[in-house]
Amino acid sequence: CHTSGMLTPNGKEYAQKIPREELTQLILKLLQAWKEPLSHFNQHIEHHQELPDDSLSKAKQISNMVHELKTGVEKSMGIISNSLNGMESSEAAGLSNSNEANMMSDSDFIHCFRRDSNKVQSYLKILKCRIMPENSC
Amino acid sequence: MKQKLISSVQIILLHAVTVMGLTGQSYPGKPRIIRCRSLEKETFSCWWKPGSDGGLPTNYTLFYSKDSEEKIYQCPDYQTSGPNSCYFDKNHTNLWTTYNITVMASNEIGNNSSDPQYVEVTYIVQPDAPVNLSLETKPSAGIMYIWAKWSPPPLVDVSSNLHVYYYELRLKTEEKEEWETIPVGVHTQYKVISLQAGAKYVVQVRCKLDVGEWSEWSSERFIQILNGQSPPDKPTIIKCRSPEKETFTCWWKPSSDGGHPTNYTLLYSKEGEEHVYECPDYRTAGPNSCYFDKKHTSFWTIYNITVKATNEMGTNISDPHYVDVTYIVQPDPPVNVTLELKKPTNRKPYLVLTWSPPPLADVRSGWLTLEYELRLKPEEGEEWETIFVGQQTQYKMFSLNPGKKYIVQIHCKPDHHGSWSEWSSENYIQIPTDFRVKDMIVWIIVGVLSSLICLIMSWTMVLKGYRMIAFILPPVPGPKIKGIDTHLLETGKSEELLSALGCHGFPPTSDCEELLIEYLEVEDSEDQQLMPSHHNGHPSKNAKLTPKETDNDSGRGSCDSPSLLSEKCRESCTVPSTLQTQDVRKPQENKEGKRSWETQCIVLERKTLPFNNESTKSSTWPAAQLLNNQAPIFAYHSTVDAHKLTLNNTNANVAPFLVGNEEKQQSQNSITETVHDDMEKQREMENLPSKAGQTTMQVKQNRPNDKPPFLNPKLMDYVEVHKVRQDEQPAVLLKHKENSGKNGQYTVPGTSKEYTKVSTVVDHNILVLMPDSRIQHTSVSQEPAKETSQDLQQGQAEKNVSYCLTAPSECKRETSGSDYMDPSSFMPSFK
Repeated sequence: CHTSGMLTPNGKEYAQKIPREELTQLILKLLQAWKEPLSHFNQHIEHHQELPDDSLSKAKQISNMVHELKTGVEKSMGIISNSLNGMESSEAAGLSNSNEANMMSDSDFIHCFRRDSNKVQSYLKILKCRIMPENSC
Repeated sequence: MKQKLISSVQIILLHAVTVMGLTGQSYPGKPRIIRCRSLEKETFSCWWKPGSDGGLPTNYTLFYSKDSEEKIYQCPDYQTSGPNSCYFDKNHTNLWTTYNITVMASNEIGNNSSDPQYVEVTYIVQPDAPVNLSLETKPSAGIMYIWAKWSPPPLVDVSSNLHVYYYELRLKTEEKEEWETIPVGVHTQYKVISLQAGAKYVVQVRCKLDVGEWSEWSSERFIQILNGQSPPDKPTIIKCRSPEKETFTCWWKPSSDGGHPTNYTLLYSKEGEEHVYECPDYRTAGPNSCYFDKKHTSFWTIYNITVKATNEMGTNISDPHYVDVTYIVQPDPPVNVTLELKKPTNRKPYLVLTWSPPPLADVRSGWLTLEYELRLKPEEGEEWETIFVGQQTQYKMFSLNPGKKYIVQIHCKPDHHGSWSEWSSENYIQIPTDFRVKDMIVWIIVGVLSSLICLIMSWTMVLKGYRMIAFILPPVPGPKIKGIDTHLLETGKSEELLSALGCHGFPPTSDCEELLIEYLEVEDSEDQQLMPSHHNGHPSKNAKLTPKETDNDSGRGSCDSPSLLSEKCRESCTVPSTLQTQDVRKPQENKEGKRSWETQCIVLERKTLPFNNESTKSSTWPAAQLLNNQAPIFAYHSTVDAHKLTLNNTNANVAPFLVGNEEKQQSQNSITETVHDDMEKQREMENLPSKAGQTTMQVKQNRPNDKPPFLNPKLMDYVEVHKVRQDEQPAVLLKHKENSGKNGQYTVPGTSKEYTKVSTVVDHNILVLMPDSRIQHTSVSQEPAKETSQDLQQGQAEKNVSYCLTAPSECKRETSGSDYMDPSSFMPSFK
């Protein structure tokens, strides 16, 4: 996976030890790293005749969702400081633009995406329960 | 000469003897050399087969010559190799010479020689088979093999053991046909590998010298490969699970161990790493398992896990199992399943089921989010009803049957990628039977009323059953035979007979109105019923007319026989009595709300009076259902009220009929307020006619305790129609009886009242007659009454004693006279 190089906490304890901001940055980095590959992937599969139509629309949907999620995280976490953001995003952009993402096979791509989205989900949940512990935590 | 003769005779005799001797004895047969063989290249032997022996002992001599030499030798040794053999020992054996061998058989008579045999020693070398073949099975480096050992063929001359033999071994399993031949070499032992465990093998060896042929195969040797003597089978990994997304465990299935104790080791490597680790903990999770604790568990990395099985015979490795811990989470079932019965006010009680997530799952930090699902089943039921609950840990149940016992179970799963846990242990719910009093009362009332309805229906069926049947199954019309119908004659209904004869009009019985006139049913008391029937010109029958079951279709039209009419009247008048008694028994609590109304004449046709509608106020008004078919029924506490009520009822009946323009509201309002408002009522009543301006009747109430209202069941009386006067003032004269009811105020006995007015038509088959006060005191004439319903007149009346007239509803009434209120004008309004 093209995001394998990123250092992400691999377990519950590590994830809980990380300070909040850093975790948020990590989430955003991950989401950013997938922006380009997803759009590229969408373009790529559009030409596949054998896929059913709803797969194509689903893929587009997922790309949109990732984008919205990123925006949402940014807003909710109040990420204002552009400098910090810029540094991270450049790194993430670098990752996302790498050819590695484009060279993956479709199944690998989906496998990597599934894993990373699971990561993002888990980190977000931990964040949520840290910030708002009363809400079903 | 004589000597010559004698010698020839001797010769002849000698020949003869010889000839004679040939039959039993002769010179030997030709021997044959079978084979010559050398065992070790240094000696050789030849064997021959003798021919026939000619009956005499035969000597065999072997002569040989070498190469092309002339010299003929004799066999040196006839003994060593057995009978009929010749053994050439070392000294006489030259490898590179060709021997020319012949065998001569001789006996007394003659001799015979075999064909010469050219023998070259090198070509006849064939050793004996090896001996002492022994077999053993031995494991070596995890594999079973057979170790075969043997000895070279024995030789007479030990010194010549320097020969080098080449050996060959063959073996096969017992089932197989084909041998597997293995060249061994010069050694006298061999290890056979690639064996089948559990098979029985047969082994043989043979040898050969450097020249010559292979020996025979040695005798067979058998060996059994033991079953358990093999390396273990391949183990398989069953599953890997993480109960709380922090640790995980893998289980494998042990394979058949090949007879020896087997050790299992689990090896794994992580994605991206080369290093292979061994399982950190074999014990915690039980046998044949490996437990990875928190330190050794990494998420979002793929583990490559294999299990190795080792025993003395060898090892075997399972297929690799790839696992990412994120996706193998299967939590424990939820715990602390509790039930609580909540009873909020003004609402039905419901059950709240609560539970807790399993203890190990860390839901509080958000690392693991669980979704729950529960399933319900009544205790005796078969199918579970599964309900998805989501992430909440409680559930409210509203729709369970009271009194039943339910089984409930819950399970959970991580909200993403994972599998459902086991179901929690069964929890039993017993729904309390919430038996509310209010519900019971409703049910009791419903039950009572439905039984009432059933009774009424059955009565109706009984009394008018044949009519219904006639309606449903119309009678088959008989043939219309002009002439005298003997059946009619028999029954004696002369008018029908005559009508059957086709005489219309002679007996005016075919006239419906006349029928109407004839049959005045005045209902007063329960048990008395008079059914006067006047037939013009026919013998009158005062007795009740028996209803005819059949109705001949003799062209009489819709007017039924008088019997039907009477029956109908009877029915209608007897039913109220039963109703009355029943209703009186019923407890009356609420004056305003729950009054049940009872009329004397129960109309069988359907009619919804506005009054009825109004009275159905409360939801528990049981009379509502009955009132569809009947006029309001009422029972009452006091006669005062009764008067009012009856009056009101009258008003209700009256108002819409008489005062066509009258607003219904008003009448209804008048009804509802009547109970307590006496005087107003009176005023109202008086007003009503004035408003209408056309009515001629008054329903007046002079005194509350005055004359009984016409609808008072207790005060109404059955009276005899004395006569029907048909003159300029037609009236119906009735004989009154003394009524010993509650209200002793009744007419003077003996006085008959004249009823000249129709006050109203109730339910379109009851005529409410009113007496004319003016002519009340006129004497009763004793003339026989004549029937004319048309002579009834309306007029002003002070007293409101009125009687019901029942008439067949199907009959139309003719309009006649301006004074008459045309009942037919009311008819449509009822329908």
